[in-house]
Amino acid sequence: MAKEGGIYRLMATYDKRWVYVVLFIVVLGPLINPIGMPIGISALTKNYYAQLNTLQEGDIVFDTWNMEFSGYMELKPGVLATHKMFIEKGVKLCIAFGHYEGVALPGEIFKQLQTWLDRYDYREGEDYIIIGYVFPNEAAVAALAQDFHANVRVDWKGNSIEGTFLDDIQNAGDFDMISDYTTGLATTYMINHMVLQYGVPMVENSIGVSVPGHLANLDAGLLTALLASTRGGAELEYLIGSPGPGLKSMDAFTLGHYSLMIFIIVGNIGHYGWTRRTGAKDRTGIK
Amino acid sequence: MTVLVVSFLLVFVPYFIPWGPLDWLSGKLMTIAAVTNAFTIVIAVYSQFRRSGRFIREKRKGWVYHIYLLVLLAIMTLSGFILGQHAGAYEWLLLAVVTPLSSVIYGILAFYMASAGARAFRARSPQAALLLVAGFIVLLYQAPLTGAFFPGIEGAATYITNTFGMSVSRMFSISVSIGAIVLGVRMLTGREVAFLGFTEGEE
Repeated sequence: MAKEGGIYRLMATYDKRWVYVVLFIVVLGPLINPIGMPIGISALTKNYYAQLNTLQEGDIVFDTWNMEFSGYMELKPGVLATHKMFIEKGVKLCIAFGHYEGVALPGEIFKQLQTWLDRYDYREGEDYIIIGYVFPNEAAVAALAQDFHANVRVDWKGNSIEGTFLDDIQNAGDFDMISDYTTGLATTYMINHMVLQYGVPMVENSIGVSVPGHLANLDAGLLTALLASTRGGAELEYLIGSPGPGLKSMDAFTLGHYSLMIFIIVGNIGHYGWTRRTGAKDRTGIK
Repeated sequence: MTVLVVSFLLVFVPYFIPWGPLDWLSGKLMTIAAVTNAFTIVIAVYSQFRRSGRFIREKRKGWVYHIYLLVLLAIMTLSGFILGQHAGAYEWLLLAVVTPLSSVIYGILAFYMASAGARAFRARSPQAALLLVAGFIVLLYQAPLTGAFFPGIEGAATYITNTFGMSVSRMFSISVSIGAIVLGVRMLTGREVAFLGFTEGEE
């Protein structure tokens, strides 16, 4: 394999399965046995934390779980840390799903928050109401934004929402904040029909690949804060002083990134050395 | 076409002229649209059964998977309708089958993305070298440990994402929006009729 071009060719054309094996080891190792490396707190997360701190007891937040279960695994630290802040502050939550898999999420999320629910006596029906999967498309978001009670009369278990804190909500403008956790489902619809139309402040917890797109929304003032992926969640856990799954996964996160960088360096040294030595013009991707 | 134009105006105009009765009418129309949209799932299920049925009848490549698909579709739909979304059996199907599979597919992406990243970041030209340097700085910043020892990396990474990255992201958003507006205008003026089920020249 390494006849023409020698070691450089080997470095430039390493088998991609090496990437898989190394990544698997450096991610699995720290997850089983965390090292506890220090982390830096980004300005984005500090701003997110500050925005949540503007909420007062009794404020009503439209809490939209725009994620599938797979996306939840990436957003989990941010979701849990944000809800710990909501529960501690006594904020009222109107929880909606943007995906049919959302029906599996409350059991999982509230099980993780059980200690906090018990500590602050935070109850379904009084402090939070789950209205279920109400965002199948943009028309539904627009309709709900304009006339909440015309579109939602019962919670996800079929109980009437009359006589609850949701009586105060006539349209999207009556919410004090929108807190969205997204893999890219109904978020743009909510920006179009709730933020632009009613001026409700909206904070976003987004998966990594959607962060660049949401940074533009943040810069334009459409979002007031952005929590970026698992790392943002870990930073929020640190800020609220409640370590969780995010901080536990940061060692794996760090080592995963560094190992990828090593593969990139190795590949480039190989590419440079091989093409310089042999004058080869061939593409030197990994196999 | 008339229905389309009137419906469009009823929803579009209240954004610029807030008038009570018009707002009410627009709200009603959107609620009707939302409810009607929810029923389209029935059409989706019907279409899937028809398509898979054709695959199975003609024994095309992968026809066995279509049987598997229809059986699972039937199980999830029937258990949801008969038992309800809060029944133990339905929740079990969701939590023990659907959600782990969904998470596994998502997790596997990390390996493909890492391998694709390692392959893409090669300094084959001056432009590629610039991309490599920018990508490397952002990647270095994304590793949580880096920020703890080199806080200055955040400034460099933020500069790259807030200037080059954001300009491209905005260009993409603006292009998509303009495309959507153009499509909307074509639909309203009758130049685009495929969405109504007509082919070119037929109306």
